[in-house]
Amino acid sequence: MTVAQIVFILLTIVGLGAAFLVVTTRNLFHAALYLIASFFAVSGFYVLLEAGFFAAVQFLVYIGAISILFIFATMLTRTVRGMVPRNSQWQAALFIAVVLFVAMVVMFSPISFSLPTRSDRTFGGVDWQFAEVLGKPGVLRSVPDSSILDFGRALSDLNQYGIALLLSGVLLLIGMIGAIWVARERKPREILAERARMAAEEASEAARQSVGTKIPDVVVAHDSHH
Amino acid sequence: MDIINNLVKNLGDGIAAGIYGALGQGLAADILIMVIAAIAVFAVASGGFAGLTYAERKIVARIQDRVGPNQAGPYGILQPIADAVKLFTKEDTTPAEADFWVYNLAPIIVAVFATLTFTVVPFAPGVVGTNLNIGAFYIIAIGSASTIAILMAGWGSNNKYSLLGAFRTVAQLVGYEVPMLLNMLPVIMLTGSMSLVDIIERQAGWNGSWGLPFIVILPLSGLAFLISGIAEAGRSPFDLLEAESEIVAGFHVEYSGMKFGLIMMGEYMNALGVAVMFSVLFLGGYAGPILPPYLWLVLKAFGVFLVLMWLRGTLPRVRIDQLLNMNWKFFVPLSVVNLILVMILGKVFVSDPALFKANGGILIQPLAQALIMGASSFVLLMIALAIVTRRVRKDRMAEARILLQRRETNQQIAASVH
Repeated sequence: MTVAQIVFILLTIVGLGAAFLVVTTRNLFHAALYLIASFFAVSGFYVLLEAGFFAAVQFLVYIGAISILFIFATMLTRTVRGMVPRNSQWQAALFIAVVLFVAMVVMFSPISFSLPTRSDRTFGGVDWQFAEVLGKPGVLRSVPDSSILDFGRALSDLNQYGIALLLSGVLLLIGMIGAIWVARERKPREILAERARMAAEEASEAARQSVGTKIPDVVVAHDSHH
Repeated sequence: MDIINNLVKNLGDGIAAGIYGALGQGLAADILIMVIAAIAVFAVASGGFAGLTYAERKIVARIQDRVGPNQAGPYGILQPIADAVKLFTKEDTTPAEADFWVYNLAPIIVAVFATLTFTVVPFAPGVVGTNLNIGAFYIIAIGSASTIAILMAGWGSNNKYSLLGAFRTVAQLVGYEVPMLLNMLPVIMLTGSMSLVDIIERQAGWNGSWGLPFIVILPLSGLAFLISGIAEAGRSPFDLLEAESEIVAGFHVEYSGMKFGLIMMGEYMNALGVAVMFSVLFLGGYAGPILPPYLWLVLKAFGVFLVLMWLRGTLPRVRIDQLLNMNWKFFVPLSVVNLILVMILGKVFVSDPALFKANGGILIQPLAQALIMGASSFVLLMIALAIVTRRVRKDRMAEARILLQRRETNQQIAASVH
């Protein structure tokens, strides 16, 4: 077994174990931390796949931004520790997850599961690579690499991914404008009008409910107790 | 002269050759060399930490007309050692209601990720932990992990002050990451590479052209990078995470002994990392005349750290709303406009022959480029400041009008009562 294979197995154990703990642990904050561990393992896979830039992107975007958002939202919920997270849609979620998993296995099955063992691997110029570093004298040196240049050229070339890059930029801009619009400063008059509208909607909803199936109060109380 | 200049590199090469001689070429020797290299990087970083705590206490004391540490050794020079001994001998406590693993892992993660920054910093030609081709980006990515560690510390302590400190952290650190990245981009664009070695070489001049440090060519980016870097390291005047007068010590209220020491170390290393990054990106790193390269980097980094100490010794802490307004309404738009400006000017006026050959444009001397870029930065900054001044004055006038109105109403009420 090569060093790269050992690293691959370790990363897989960490990644899958952490992912399993994310969905089984009862503590929301711990679940978020396990999710970070899982993301970290995925970042390690990118390094193994000779894509140092994507390892850093994975780290920055998923660990540095998305996970922090998760943790922040978790901490803002009131009783994190006593809370038992329950998912009322777990059957549908299980079905979709199984379908996606099967699709993924079918998609990737022609590819053999062994890692490439090229002797000239540079790992996207990342020098912390065992396969490349081990067996050569001198650790203190640099590896010239052009993969990041190719990546940049492909992104800026309109014939390759230029349009996709521009479109995703526009999408992000729309998202940002939407966020600003939602969180905009409102005049008291607007807020009052909105509240009145919401109250009217609630009232009509309640009226519709009472006209339709009547739920006995006892059952509702029993449900909320669970 | 050559021997002195390449002292560190030759030392490293010599050690590596010695190990290969003793163990032969193989896995064991390679792992040993890597471990030694890692320890060397860590020793440089933590040695800097120890020296800087002493220097900071002494210099801030002098700024504030105090004496500072003066008991341990001559001029108190042994104070860091005394501090370390004290930290090691203190009781190591964990609050009864704390989240054990989260609480105890947080200091380690803070210290580890702060140290990881130094693995890509070139200390001298050929003396670099690893020359990543994404070095600058790597540092930003690694820096984002410290936010998580601080959140873990704040939440794991199960203390309301800690939690408040952690909340402030998210708002501050996540926010200031944006201008930091946006102001790193002009440097990367003018260099055409994210490798820190390439950035330094570009400033030192290459291919027959002579270079200038980027602070001369991109003064606005440099300034904004330094300020957002200080905020990112959570240092005064942006030390809201641990504002002693408001939330005791913020996220590390509950930590004692060496766990507190590790958090302190992480913070100092983050600050030192910002100073080193600023010297690498904008001051030319190890490039410099006469003195050997490794000394130049140390001198520059210490000079930048001196500015950080100066700010700490003199400025009051900013409020959280001021901090966030300054970031989102001033730094981010300014950085974006600056980025676009640099994009256009950098494409038209090229001073690097290699980039000229690749992309075209008008080839000019670095000094002329510095003049053009510097002038445009200055004009941009003046316009931005004028807009902000006008806006703030308008707000203040509106506030004053409301106050005046209220006073008049009160007077009328008082008159009607009498």
